[in-house]
Amino acid sequence: MAVGVVRWRTAARDPGLLLAYALVGAVLLGFVLYPTLRVISYPALADYLGIVDNPRWMAAVRNSLMMMVLSTTTATLVGFLYAFAMTRADVPGRRVFRSIALLPLFAPPFMVAFAYILMFGRQGLITRTLLGLDVNIFGWPGLWLVQTVAFFPYAALILEHVLEAINPTLEQAARNLGADERTVFRTVTLPLARPGVAAAMLLVAISVLADFGNAVVIAGALPLLATEAWFRIEGLADLTGAALSVSLLLLPTVLLFVLERVWVSRRLYTAITGRGSHLERPPTPWYVRGALLAFCGVVAVFVLLVYVAVVAGAFTRTWGYNWSLTLDHWRLGLAQGGGQLLNSVQIGAISALLTSIIALLAAFLTSRRQWPALERALDFLAVLPGALPGVFIGIGFLLAFNAPPFFLGGTPWILILALTFWHIPFGYQAAQAGLRQIDRSIEEAAADLGASGLRILRDIYVPLLRGPFLASFVTSFIRAVTNLSIVVFLVTPRNLVATYSILAMIGGGFWGAAAALTAALLALTFAAVALARLAVGRTIRALPVA
Amino acid sequence: MRRGTIVVGWLLIAVLALASGVGAQAGRVVVYSALDSTVTSEVLKAFERRTGLRTEALTLAAAGTLATRITAERARPQADIFLGGSNDFHAPLARQGLLEAYRSPMLAEARLAPEFYDPQGYWYGWYIGALSIFYNRERFERELAPRGVRPPATWDDLLNPAFRGQLVLPSPVTTGGGFIFVAAQIFRLGNEDRAFDWLKRLAENATFTPTAPAGITLVSRGEAIVGMNWGHDVRSMAVNQGFPVELVFPPDTATEIGAVSIIKGGPNPAGARQFVDFILTRTPQDINAKYGLRYPTRADAPAPLGMPPLSSLRFVKYDRQWAIDNQARLRQKWQQVIGK
Repeated sequence: MAVGVVRWRTAARDPGLLLAYALVGAVLLGFVLYPTLRVISYPALADYLGIVDNPRWMAAVRNSLMMMVLSTTTATLVGFLYAFAMTRADVPGRRVFRSIALLPLFAPPFMVAFAYILMFGRQGLITRTLLGLDVNIFGWPGLWLVQTVAFFPYAALILEHVLEAINPTLEQAARNLGADERTVFRTVTLPLARPGVAAAMLLVAISVLADFGNAVVIAGALPLLATEAWFRIEGLADLTGAALSVSLLLLPTVLLFVLERVWVSRRLYTAITGRGSHLERPPTPWYVRGALLAFCGVVAVFVLLVYVAVVAGAFTRTWGYNWSLTLDHWRLGLAQGGGQLLNSVQIGAISALLTSIIALLAAFLTSRRQWPALERALDFLAVLPGALPGVFIGIGFLLAFNAPPFFLGGTPWILILALTFWHIPFGYQAAQAGLRQIDRSIEEAAADLGASGLRILRDIYVPLLRGPFLASFVTSFIRAVTNLSIVVFLVTPRNLVATYSILAMIGGGFWGAAAALTAALLALTFAAVALARLAVGRTIRALPVA
Repeated sequence: MRRGTIVVGWLLIAVLALASGVGAQAGRVVVYSALDSTVTSEVLKAFERRTGLRTEALTLAAAGTLATRITAERARPQADIFLGGSNDFHAPLARQGLLEAYRSPMLAEARLAPEFYDPQGYWYGWYIGALSIFYNRERFERELAPRGVRPPATWDDLLNPAFRGQLVLPSPVTTGGGFIFVAAQIFRLGNEDRAFDWLKRLAENATFTPTAPAGITLVSRGEAIVGMNWGHDVRSMAVNQGFPVELVFPPDTATEIGAVSIIKGGPNPAGARQFVDFILTRTPQDINAKYGLRYPTRADAPAPLGMPPLSSLRFVKYDRQWAIDNQARLRQKWQQVIGK
């Protein structure tokens, strides 16, 4: 009771903070929860009850869960080892490896699968032309490989920040107490990285469940929940069935969400103290270095193959049959999709900016520990979009904002806002992980000096969280310009974007032109990221692209 | 921080610039097209030349996605015309009250057969696609011809055990073409039980792709050897792209009717009616035959170049109404009996 009274008094003294809560809360309710409820309530109860009798849907549930376990495990493992190598200053070529590992972030979500078919399929450049093998890459093994390569960068990105933030003093202390490298890793590094590993696994697991781009291309006849939603719509115009199968996806993702909360928030780790103490990391033993180097080398080759395949595909007349070089694909691709590249960049930049601002604000508000219930609710809303597949958001916005009381249909804003709110978890988790590493004594000092909640945000957290903010902006931007699953539902004739044309080209069998336009999209994305780096300054290290 | 503020400022300016460019342009006919971008843009260009009206197109290969969109936008429709895609997508929209009935004065001149348009004028068929068998010539000659296997030419040839694991068909559960194939077998074999016995044997040989174009890609890239799909799609996606693919229309094949319809409550109803009139003339049908290799519904328009004349194809007696009425039941039965 008494605590509540104090809380209210504090709040009354800080109306700015209260307003921020109301604003962020309202926006998340309107653009996350409202569309979600629209989707869930679209099928009738009888439709939900009929799922058990439908063998195809039951198979889809089983397969989705299986892929989630397989791909999440490998992607997180690869991401962890990669991040571990990246944080050792004495691993040679780590800057190059770092850049390579993050390349999949730039690829439209179906591109890894497409490239691996070109490389490892029955007509694959490597499997058939070079090795003379007859390999069927379609099905779950191919999808497993593709999802591991496509999603390990998310894990690596998060884990690198986490591992980087672990103060070497702690590891050194363990060594001074007589621990060998293995024991240091097991008892100091790993436990400190645990929240990061959990956050990474959550993010990867949900991405795997929601992944339809790769699955559509390479899963073959394997039914999966995310693609089933797509097939219902594409093949049957069955909006009810689609809403049903994406609603089914929410069950495992909400479960994951709860799991992550229980595991991570049980302990709080403060690795950055207000009192700065910096210590060089001791040299990594040669055998560890060698193993890490070999490992990163193999992963890098698999990543580079994606790009080699796309670029080669853009210049090859007919892959597997006619290897002569041509520029025709570029002519066709740019004639049809040139102007749309510009739209992609514009829409991507706006949505990424909105994402990063809202996410940072939300992360700050949910870390206050003043209103536990409210903060938990906000936190749930901020992470929820990550649990929703792109098709779900697409359908949700389509249902929610084409009907009274909110009309956004036919404007670019329906697409921009859908992308904005879908990507919020990326910025939110980055900001949150950053916040977790900042000692609260800094804030308490400011509060003791009379700073209001928003002042603390502006003067302490915003400068300290510039890294996560930028990481969030760039990640959201890249995801927005390469997005396909939301775009297909919300794009309007006046605001076409590049990935949309790529899909149309793939549908029409113009693989070469699709590869060319993808390559052009990638080039533009790289240019935009380089520009952002230039604009904000070289000292910022948190950009995912070195 | 100052530089960061400048970047944020510029981005906000970009936001405003984009927002100001949003205003709807009046007088345009907005088209949701389920056809490929080449056919769509050629047809729209011809329409603009003919009428002087401007158009805007959203080109998407999948008719289902567009039909879904039209359903979702019912409170405030964003488009005037739904162009292309099987009438199996247009007819349900009409039943839900999402389409505008229109009796085109061009119908008399077009002289369409009654099966090619809706009697109330909700949709008009303007092209026909036929199911075909196709195979990868290179792999066939390398792997199967030496063993004395003959190229498939009839539906029954698909049961040949030599094709086991190398045959791909679009799934009857998730694609329109796959379902028409199943219904065609029922009409061909006379009753459902015999058809499902036949389909069971087929399923031992085949894998079923969740989208129709996926199967064409698999065969043209040699991932599979034999496939069943829309003849015009096989030709434009595989044969004309330089892949070693052979195409044959088996006896007792079946068709889809590609339609055009007016979306009820669209921004430009007068322009939409002009568009439907235009689609029933010869020009768009010739364009579609030329670039999309689809058969025209007008009797006076010639077959696409390189395709056999429509009159040379032998069609099964296909009862469209029965097929649509039994669609949900047959799809459920397929899942229970075949399980793929």
